[in-house]
Amino acid sequence: IQDDHKLSTSELEEKYGTSISKGLSSARAAEILARDGPNSLTPPKATPEIVKFLKQMVGGFSILLWIGAVFSWISFGIQLAQGAESPFDNLYLGVVLALVVILTGIFAYYQEAKSTNIMASFSKMIPQQALVIRDAEKKELPADQLVVGDIVEIKGGDRIPADIRLIFTQGCKVDNSSLTGESEPQSRSCDFTHDNPLETRNIAFYSTTCVEGTATGIVINTGDRTIIGRIASLASGVGNEKTPIAIEIEHFVYLVAGVAVSIGVLFFIISVSMRYKILDSIIFLIGIIVANVPEGLLATVTVSLSLTAKRMAKKNCLVKNLEAVETLGSTSIICSDKTGTLTQNRMTVAHLWFDNQIYSADTSEDQTTQPFDQSSPSWTALSKIVTLCNRAEFRPGQENLPIMKRVVVGDASETALLKFAEVILGDVMNIRARNKKVAEIPFNSTNKFQLSIHETDDPNDKRFLLVMKGAPERILERCSTIMINGKEEPLDSEKAEAFQTAYMELGGMGERVLGFCHLYLPENEFPDTYQFDTDSMNFPTSNLCFVGLLSMIDPPRSTVPDAVSKCRSAGIKVIMVTGDHPITAKAIAKSVGIISATSETVEDIAKRLNIPVEQVNRREATAAVVNGMELKDMSLQQLDDILCNHSEIVFARTSPQQKLIIVEGCQRQGAVVAVTGDGVNDSPALKKADIGIAMGIAGSDAAKNAADMVLLDDNFASIVTGVEEGRLIFDNLKKTIAYTLTKNIAELCPFLIYIIASIPMPIGTITILFIDLGTDIIPSVALAYEKAESDIMNRRPRNKRKDRLVNEQLAVYSYLQIGIMQSVGAFVTYFTVYAEQGFLPSTLLGVRVDWENNAINDFEDSYGQEWTKYQRMYLQWTGYTAFFVSITIQQVADLIIRKTRRNSIFQQGLFRNKVIWVGIFSQIGIALILTYGLGHVTALNFTPLRFQYWFVAVPFAILIWVYDEVRKLFIRRYPGSWWDKNMYY
Amino acid sequence: MATLNEKKTCSERMENFRRFVWNPETKLFMGRTLINWVWISLYYLAFYVVMSGLFALSIYSLMRTVNPYEPDYQDQLKSPGVTLRPDVYGDRGLQIYYNVSDNKTWEGLVTTLRTFLTAYTPAAQRPNINCTSDTYFIQDTFDGPNKTKLSCKFISDMLQNCSGITDPTFGFPEGKPCFIIKMNRIIKFFPGNGTAPRVDCTYVVSVRANRAAFLLYKQGDETRPLEVDYYPVNGTFNLHYFPYYGKKSQPSYSNPLVAVKFLNITRNVELKIVCKIIGAGITFDNVHDPYEGKVEFKLKIED
Repeated sequence: IQDDHKLSTSELEEKYGTSISKGLSSARAAEILARDGPNSLTPPKATPEIVKFLKQMVGGFSILLWIGAVFSWISFGIQLAQGAESPFDNLYLGVVLALVVILTGIFAYYQEAKSTNIMASFSKMIPQQALVIRDAEKKELPADQLVVGDIVEIKGGDRIPADIRLIFTQGCKVDNSSLTGESEPQSRSCDFTHDNPLETRNIAFYSTTCVEGTATGIVINTGDRTIIGRIASLASGVGNEKTPIAIEIEHFVYLVAGVAVSIGVLFFIISVSMRYKILDSIIFLIGIIVANVPEGLLATVTVSLSLTAKRMAKKNCLVKNLEAVETLGSTSIICSDKTGTLTQNRMTVAHLWFDNQIYSADTSEDQTTQPFDQSSPSWTALSKIVTLCNRAEFRPGQENLPIMKRVVVGDASETALLKFAEVILGDVMNIRARNKKVAEIPFNSTNKFQLSIHETDDPNDKRFLLVMKGAPERILERCSTIMINGKEEPLDSEKAEAFQTAYMELGGMGERVLGFCHLYLPENEFPDTYQFDTDSMNFPTSNLCFVGLLSMIDPPRSTVPDAVSKCRSAGIKVIMVTGDHPITAKAIAKSVGIISATSETVEDIAKRLNIPVEQVNRREATAAVVNGMELKDMSLQQLDDILCNHSEIVFARTSPQQKLIIVEGCQRQGAVVAVTGDGVNDSPALKKADIGIAMGIAGSDAAKNAADMVLLDDNFASIVTGVEEGRLIFDNLKKTIAYTLTKNIAELCPFLIYIIASIPMPIGTITILFIDLGTDIIPSVALAYEKAESDIMNRRPRNKRKDRLVNEQLAVYSYLQIGIMQSVGAFVTYFTVYAEQGFLPSTLLGVRVDWENNAINDFEDSYGQEWTKYQRMYLQWTGYTAFFVSITIQQVADLIIRKTRRNSIFQQGLFRNKVIWVGIFSQIGIALILTYGLGHVTALNFTPLRFQYWFVAVPFAILIWVYDEVRKLFIRRYPGSWWDKNMYY
Repeated sequence: MATLNEKKTCSERMENFRRFVWNPETKLFMGRTLINWVWISLYYLAFYVVMSGLFALSIYSLMRTVNPYEPDYQDQLKSPGVTLRPDVYGDRGLQIYYNVSDNKTWEGLVTTLRTFLTAYTPAAQRPNINCTSDTYFIQDTFDGPNKTKLSCKFISDMLQNCSGITDPTFGFPEGKPCFIIKMNRIIKFFPGNGTAPRVDCTYVVSVRANRAAFLLYKQGDETRPLEVDYYPVNGTFNLHYFPYYGKKSQPSYSNPLVAVKFLNITRNVELKIVCKIIGAGITFDNVHDPYEGKVEFKLKIED
């Protein structure tokens, strides 16, 4: 047990051989680093890779396929024991099934590993930095380079980089929730307050976060020796949580597995009662399972999701959790931050007032000129004050950057003024150099003004110019005249009134207003040798000349209003949650459209009708601006009320804890809530949200860790892009699944007809696998590239309880309509092949037992010719190939019809999605290779099919297309009708 | 990301299912009102009627296009299969094992032959004509009754010693059994290219396949190759039985046969014998098909 918290500063210095002022020497630090190792936790023993791998082998449909494989081996064993002629078929089938499971398992494992890697690389991308004093210098070092004895400085928002004994603090509070689970910030000081190192206030622990204040401390433990390193329980990661899409896929797996098992068992019973041998019945069961299970689908879904994730990353949404892609699409409420997300996160001059008139300035991100009227001499005077009475400076070496992008040393408003002046006047630094500063009083909170005195750049004018800016009312107090069109006029009450009106108006827009005034000091009183003393203020600071007002705001990002209106039409409620002042919040909300132009808050109505707020009918107000103070006193009931009854809500002056309450409130309404956040304190809300979105630029590590998605450009509009992609992928997954499910019927029917009508087997189990994992894979992925049908952002978010990924309509339409058509088409091909080779359909019925009998080598066909067993088998394989080819051909039609669910293919454009064509060509290409390339490998059961049989199913493919066009036409023509309800999936 | 886990107990699930089957409030039966069920059933009924109609139409037009006399393609029937009578199949193909002193072991075999030959009695062959020419019997016109073509007679007498008439036991008790070799029918197949194809039976001389025969061979017992009597003479299939014009053209056609009588079978040894049909156009080297152009069988005669 350590006693570092009990030691005094000097004892500590001695113990760790360090110095509080100078820190360790680099050499010493390197030595200790070599001894102790890097300051990072040994990664917790994750689930062993092999366990993860095995888990992939039993998830989803794998169990069904394993059952199939085991049955195959059992029947192989039985046949081997009975000494049958060719028992190895079943052995191979079992092996193939096992291989399928293992390969898809490997694929899933690989995908998972890859996404884990993405996350890992993501956390590496932003390595934690620590501010360390070494060799008497402050240095930024990666946190894992810290060693015991290092002196580190921390400030609000930082993660504590190691266990630290604090030696200097200023209002420091830490959030120990990663250690204790309680997120209530605890204050930290240098005082030893408790015997227990965990309780004492002068130690801050590794991995906790500093919420506010600053502190300096000595590192006393690093890496695994830190308190948290010793707590083994850290290893337990976040529990397995199910995302909406995971639930949908599980639902889908249950559905398909249910169908597979029930049809399998049903036909097992039927075949047993039809006096088939048990062994044969088991083989049928395997076939039915294989036919029913879309083996390639889960892999396809993963690929589609990661494709979308990649696409979103390109649009600055970095998705940490693949399935979050879709969650974003079902979002119904977005709780957004204001600063940085909706706004540009920089003060910008928005309005000017001079000559009794308000001018608007351009606030866009890439301004290069200002359009307002700059001809008035008052503006010249004002611009001079703005330029001179300003301490902010550009960092050198940025001449080539656009003005708006340059880094400025100075506070936010001064920066805004500097950039504003630079845009209009050009080289500000040069102007300042020409008007040499002789004295200056910086801004402080008691004066509320800033003042400086300059020589003028006019060599004939020897007067000094005194310029001043500050809080408008304070500035006005000091003025006796006001400049109108360049002339000084006395400041009478009328002009003061005008000033008040302008000030109120600008203030009412939520803008920060500054007043500007100046005075040319008379040359006789202040000759150019005059010594100005800022302490005694030996110069006039009243009876100045008021020049004008400038107001600044953190302006909304130019893309945001459009994005908000997109959200609105997409049925997504955007709620602004900000710590800012209600007036500013409301102004920004109005300017971006979160509060629309026509809607009013209760207060607005009261003001308009001139009645007290209490008398207003709250139902009439569509908008609401809720103050954090009000929220504090609200019951959950009241909060629900507000969330329900107002469509446009702004929460202002809220604390991060209240953000959590708001998120919970939204979730109580059954909404899928997306929350944006950047601060450490947002992490609970980010975790609580259905999808947490952290800001990539402004966001703290903690927020990024808690979030599911990171917005690399901090831009709200990117969220909307994300929503669009999320909705698109949901739609496209529907299409993919519908596409994949359809052919299952065409694969299943052969078994059923085979059992019932005893015809030669139309399609082999191996052939089915070649469809499911061969021809069908690329086309189903190609559907993920399908563009949205026009209405994607004009409909309401998906109701996660009602709008399933695989709904009844989808399954029924795919299975019982298109699937049946495909089966008919494939069977026609099958019968055509057999008939043209000598077996007319009538001959085929009931022929199974003799057909499969090895002892019959003179089997008679419809024309009296006699066939050996092998000749029949070869014909059967030709039948498989024909069936396979027909399914492939009809799947092309299926692929085309699945491009849209409502619109006509011709509206969607047949050639817009090029990948679909890649899919179609790959599908046909693979089929050609299998038939003609591998047609001589007997084990695969493909034969080089006569070419004309490729076209037998074409009429049915066309029929599928036409039928689906008719379906879509009726859906469009009669929305809400019986047809729409039953045929739209 | 928050969980959307809706844990339900079993009873809740049952309750939900019950409500799904019949929801008294909304009057939904399995998610639909009854009238809705009627509509949807009617729709599917109509849909399936149309689909069945389309299927029937397709098959009907298929039947209209196929030639009733001969198939469009004979892709798999390039070379005829060969079968053996009696045909007793064991685990690995034809196996004819019997004991000369136990007539129960060979009576079944004899019955098979006798039954097989009932199709070749003079009575059964009455519709067919006597042919004497030794060339292909090519018929371009329908000369037979009811628009058929004529077929040549093959009567079991032609098998002489193996006809079952002179020796009703087909030589089984003597250990010199008769077997009948039949070539599969293939429409418009001209075997032999003008020369009558003939049957040739030998031991299968292959180390692994036939150890016994191999041993015989190794011992320098070339003096005892397989001695076979072929009936008809030389074991030929007369060319006038070819070509076959199909069931519809030649309803009474019967395959010509060749009987083989093995004369010097070593007792108590399992022998593997192959009977090939030698003739142009008949191949017997298809590795996949053991019955194409040849028939292999195991023979073991015990005493």
